[in-house]
Amino acid sequence: MTTDNDIGIRVAQEFLGSDALADRIMHGPNNELYLLIEESEFEIAISHLAANKFVLISIFCCERFSLHATQTLFYIFERRTSILVVFLGINGYATSIAGIYPCASWFERECRDGFGIEFEGAFDNRRLFLHETYPDDFHPLKKSFKNASIVTKEIINPADEYPFLEVLGEGVYQVPVGPVHAGIIEPGHFRFSVIGETIFNLECRMFYKHRGIEKLAEGKIPTYCIRIAEAVSGDESVANTTAFCMAVEQISHIQVPERTWYLRTILLELERICSHLGDQAGMLIDVAFPLGASQFSVLREECFRESDQLTGSRFLRGIIAIGGISRDIPKVQLDELLSFVHQLRKRYRIGLKIVLSTASVIDRFSTTGVILPALLRPLNITGPAARASGGKVDVRLNHPYGIYDKFAPKPQRLRDGDVLSRFTIKASEIMDSIDLIERLIASVPGGDVRSDAIIRDGYTLAMVESARGQNLCWVWIKDGVIERYKVRTASFSNWLAIEHAVQGNIVPDFPVINKSLNLSYAGTDL
Amino acid sequence: MVSVLTCLLKKKVTEDLPVLDEEIEVIGREIKIAINAVFGRSLAIRELDTGSDNATEIEINNLNNPFYDVERFGITFVASPRHADVLIVTGCVTHNMVIAAKKTYDAMPSPKFVVAVGDDACDGGIFSGTYAVLGGVEKILPVDLKIPGNPPTPVQILAGLLALMKKARRE
Repeated sequence: MTTDNDIGIRVAQEFLGSDALADRIMHGPNNELYLLIEESEFEIAISHLAANKFVLISIFCCERFSLHATQTLFYIFERRTSILVVFLGINGYATSIAGIYPCASWFERECRDGFGIEFEGAFDNRRLFLHETYPDDFHPLKKSFKNASIVTKEIINPADEYPFLEVLGEGVYQVPVGPVHAGIIEPGHFRFSVIGETIFNLECRMFYKHRGIEKLAEGKIPTYCIRIAEAVSGDESVANTTAFCMAVEQISHIQVPERTWYLRTILLELERICSHLGDQAGMLIDVAFPLGASQFSVLREECFRESDQLTGSRFLRGIIAIGGISRDIPKVQLDELLSFVHQLRKRYRIGLKIVLSTASVIDRFSTTGVILPALLRPLNITGPAARASGGKVDVRLNHPYGIYDKFAPKPQRLRDGDVLSRFTIKASEIMDSIDLIERLIASVPGGDVRSDAIIRDGYTLAMVESARGQNLCWVWIKDGVIERYKVRTASFSNWLAIEHAVQGNIVPDFPVINKSLNLSYAGTDL
Repeated sequence: MVSVLTCLLKKKVTEDLPVLDEEIEVIGREIKIAINAVFGRSLAIRELDTGSDNATEIEINNLNNPFYDVERFGITFVASPRHADVLIVTGCVTHNMVIAAKKTYDAMPSPKFVVAVGDDACDGGIFSGTYAVLGGVEKILPVDLKIPGNPPTPVQILAGLLALMKKARRE
């Protein structure tokens, strides 16, 4: 991951002064910039960063990081190509920044559930991933809690039920949907406040699938955690395992052979194609155009089969390993893949032509579910959803990892921010990924695919661009085992985008808006 | 304006499948016979996710793509548990999903079957014994059949459903 941190240092100088800076700033193994601040400097630091257009991309907590404080809070900020991690020690209390950075609210509620931290001034103090059934004063991510089965509440008092935002007024009524939905999809609850058919407000309640991924990883050896990283979200297996392995490799100074990065990148792009094809098929099903949908679902099934041929797993599992990949992909198979993607491009174009020349599809897609460009920064919207609303965000371009500096994807950008823009962006990305795979296969070097992995202690941040957007993980290894594994997927960030995108649309358009972002519930709930 | 005549007379857009999966056809034919005998020609399945990593749902969804198209064998995925003969459960059972899962099962008319699909649904997988997860599906519902895999392929899921049909026929 390459980053340009000059701007971060400059802004830090502004509010701390250059004298104080020297012993408080340091570079992480992945070239991210860490800045230690005191509680008294916190508010001025945040307002400076907000004024300088830094985007908050994650907040997480860690215990036993500092000798002087019970917990340490990490605030990760991004501005284009620079990454600044502001961290401070606290003792159970912190100041909420949700007023300045609205996307902070979910992160703060997450820290509150996990560690019992109270955020002063927070506008939302409801529990997040711990639903009503969990006991009171239960904070699973505290080190004092050993991961084991717990006794939960069997009966939930109506008074203790989750209070949804109530919209009152003449003709306003609520439509509760979920957690179990009509289709074959993951569980989540949507509370619509509706006037007639028009959605006035939507509140998403997630975390029904909270499986305790982060706690599960603690105390495990890094090689075992690859299995856990794969379980974060099934269709992002390569992206999440690559991010995890990248972090471990950077911490341990493991040089990954060049051939490995070519193969990893091919798999990353194949996963993206597969995911986008599924989204597009789903969007077409939701506007009742199965003819178009079947074009893409046929291609997607073929991608699954091709993945199976390459790696022995339809979801490309078990291939990414620390220090490389678990087995080489021989030239014969790469040649096969080359002719496969060549055919894929031709047939994809035919499918796309059918779809884009169908008036009923365009009519349903355009001006539906608009994400306003003004929301991108405050809500930290990422991935194709942001690029369809004019955002210049792509980890592959802003913080190139592996060999993306040599094989840069074409920057994609549209401005309308509606379902049609997201559909079109995904189509361009599929084409671009096919181009990338062809270029990669043409120049893949020989050599080993795995280097010896001697794991060392340390911590770092790693980011990848998954099909849904920026996925990041922060890994801390202590005494050879995982001390903390923080994951934040693109889905976690983009749920807030859906709440805004549906406003003013009719309820029957919700499925297609939802599908146009295609967020992973598993990746959000962890 | 599309002319009706053109639509009727022009070359059909649907083509023969690029590959014909013999294995699917064999299982499909068998499953159709069993469904005709036991379930009066149609098997209604409701899918319930209690905490999977979404790969299993994708594979179940794939059963409906043109390669497998299981509806031709009499298998339909229904929108409500009230219409379902079989409940397919994917993923380990999280504490947050227990109440919803039980309500879904209770809403189904009897006789009903429960099939656990995927390693996590079978026994909790890597999540068993942790704070957030109760374990496999059998911790809260009576499971008739388990289809292991991480995730199982569409063919394996279909083969599992055939085994369930045979079991139901014997009973």
